[in-house]
Amino acid sequence: MNPALSEKSAARFRPDATWPTLIHAAAHEVFQMMVGTEVQPGDFPPEPQIGEVSAMVGLAGTLCAVFRIRCPQDVAGSIATKMLGGQGDSSQVCDAMGEICNMVAGNFKGKISGLSDGCMLSVPTVVMGGDFNVYSTGQERVEVTLTYDGKPVWLTLEISN
Amino acid sequence: MRPIRVLIVDDSAVMRKIVERSLRQAGIEILEVLEAGNGVEGLAAIQQCPVDLILSDINMPAMDGLEFLQGLRCLDNAKNTPVVMITTEGSESRVVEALSAGARGYIRKPFTPDQVKERVTPLLEGVR
Repeated sequence: MNPALSEKSAARFRPDATWPTLIHAAAHEVFQMMVGTEVQPGDFPPEPQIGEVSAMVGLAGTLCAVFRIRCPQDVAGSIATKMLGGQGDSSQVCDAMGEICNMVAGNFKGKISGLSDGCMLSVPTVVMGGDFNVYSTGQERVEVTLTYDGKPVWLTLEISN
Repeated sequence: MRPIRVLIVDDSAVMRKIVERSLRQAGIEILEVLEAGNGVEGLAAIQQCPVDLILSDINMPAMDGLEFLQGLRCLDNAKNTPVVMITTEGSESRVVEALSAGARGYIRKPFTPDQVKERVTPLLEGVR
């Protein structure tokens, strides 16, 4: 086990009222710097949409959680294309969404004092298609909905501490 | 400074392209870009062709960036090549570990071309 994790495993982090704002701030920075698009808080229904893309990354240590970014497939395609300066294609959607998820999760944990050193990220997993359910043992959930060029991007942190 | 040969090591092909584009946007003249998807591929690439600069992710499958750094230091044609680590992790301990293992700098994702320029340009002053 990573020594940083074992030393700090006793001090578990719990979500508080600031976390949605911090997740939004983390996502805003990543989309602005890596995609060149401003994302704003959005108000969309949470129901799954056909053809959506979900990217997930695990957090382990002082925060045990799964961070997930979910969006329609056309949004994921747009994100990949913009990340690659207009030269992306559909084969790179999963790679791009995995990187976005990884960066938002990493940026988020960097915004919480003391969390970064005791919490590690997994490599990302990306699922394409809307006909599936996600089962999680998470006891608490933080959800943020964003608007990307007028379309939804859902961010969810499922905490299992 | 002459155009440089650079090795970019990252398990994400998208991120490798973004790093290359950021270098070009930062005004760094590139002769050739070698790409590798993990540390094992990175070590194999550099044994075939020495480079002026290496940018490497830390979290990768097969061989991570820290193991890659240790491997590099055993290669005669790479032990003095400047390496900049690129990481999503905000963890100070990982950064300290990378610098202790011989990395000359680090860049946190997300990043801008200006941040890449700031980290990389001083390392290329010896390239003639």
